[in-house]
Amino acid sequence: MLLPVEALIDGVVRTLVESILPDVTTRFARGQLYAAVDVLRNLRDRIEVKVTLCEAEAASAATALERVVAGLGTERSAVRIAEALAAAPGGPPAERAAALRAALVTALEALDGLPAARTEAARTAIAEHLAAQVMRDLMVLKPSLLTEISKG
Amino acid sequence: MPDDDLRARLERFVGRRIQGADRVRVTHLERSTEGFSQETFVFEVEIGRDGATERRGYVAKREPVAGLLEPYDLEPEFRVLHALSDDPLPSPRTPWFERDPAVLDRPFYVMERLPGDVPIPAARTDGAAPFDDGEREALGPEVVDALARLHAIEWRGRFDFLGVPRPGRAAAEREVARWEDRIRRSGLPLDPALAEALLWLRRNAPVTEETTLVHGDYRLGNFLVVRGGRRPRLAGILDWELVHLGDPLEDVAWCASPLWRAATPYASALLTPEDFAARYAASSGRAVDPERLRFYDVLAVVKMSAIMLTGIQAFRDQRTADLRMAIFDHQLPFLGALLGVARGWIAGAA
Repeated sequence: MLLPVEALIDGVVRTLVESILPDVTTRFARGQLYAAVDVLRNLRDRIEVKVTLCEAEAASAATALERVVAGLGTERSAVRIAEALAAAPGGPPAERAAALRAALVTALEALDGLPAARTEAARTAIAEHLAAQVMRDLMVLKPSLLTEISKG
Repeated sequence: MPDDDLRARLERFVGRRIQGADRVRVTHLERSTEGFSQETFVFEVEIGRDGATERRGYVAKREPVAGLLEPYDLEPEFRVLHALSDDPLPSPRTPWFERDPAVLDRPFYVMERLPGDVPIPAARTDGAAPFDDGEREALGPEVVDALARLHAIEWRGRFDFLGVPRPGRAAAEREVARWEDRIRRSGLPLDPALAEALLWLRRNAPVTEETTLVHGDYRLGNFLVVRGGRRPRLAGILDWELVHLGDPLEDVAWCASPLWRAATPYASALLTPEDFAARYAASSGRAVDPERLRFYDVLAVVKMSAIMLTGIQAFRDQRTADLRMAIFDHQLPFLGALLGVARGWIAGAA
């Protein structure tokens, strides 16, 4: 997720208070809305992104990067990618996952400058990681309310 | 701005522009929720003239403080729409543009309201598709033929202000640069899937055989459809904010993209992608080159990613309290999956 949980909750609270509350007219509904805001404000500093999700992503990305380095053999760019992999912090998990995502971008840019025949194994490693990561991300998604959001 | 204030300002603005009216009153004003980019206000005006009363529907589109397609400039869109009143295309007549912030705080234009509703590019709550088979049969060809007509519009000498791309790869390269720039300007970290797609797009920009007017956002969600009577019909093509000059296949790929299939296998929930391309080729007289189409398929998902990232960043910076920007954060994995299919690192039919 690109929005930190705190920013997301702050944004929801802001919208509830500034955009929704003025249109809520019954006393009971207003009371419930204030209660929701109170819950969210107090939740804000007690939660963080699930560690297991970040750990799974980081483990998969690190494996892919190791395969990229191995696949490139003695190519000079292998050193650059290995350095990016080594520079990723050991934790917290969210920071490690973010650093490894950046290392994957570095790897892709390095591969882009090399002949396709020499990068096949490395590209396969990254592709397999990307596919697995998309599936992990999709598995935690709930059915979309886009129609209701659009129609109001 | 409170609705009462907005209503009074619109009333003054329209009142000064309707000739010969004794009285102009805004009788209904509603903020539309369908558009995610510009602010859209639907309003009705009652015009008194020589003892008679006439009602007209209008739509005002205003630049948002922050939004998906920033930085905003409504003027090119207005100039195109205003000029298209004489073309055989179902686009709304667009009489007025106003840049003066004293009027509505930010630039806006006003267009005449057309009949119909805008089907949403998502499955209905009950899981049903936006159109039944009969509606698809009627609307599908109409939507494709309208796109072919749009691409046949003479732009030389009329729309050169949109920026004429040089012959060759310039049109494709300009679009890649445009969306890559928006991704960079969001300031958000680049996702590896998106980085991979951008690198591929840079290396595979195709030659544009013929430059045409490109709508830029031609797809389900921007079609105004009238459903009364025996056959539904396309009453209007909306949201021209991405209009530019370029490769017509960009619109074909965007309209047929899995982004807008609303949980159906159909391009914009209307035609199979193959039928869409074949109909377009027949209607426009242009060959639909599969390699060029593939380039614009990938670009479509990159473009949508850029739009979502811009919205996420606007929300993150607290420049907007619109929670619709926040939902993009958890929708990005869908785009990752579509990129995977388009680029071939996920097996599946595009």
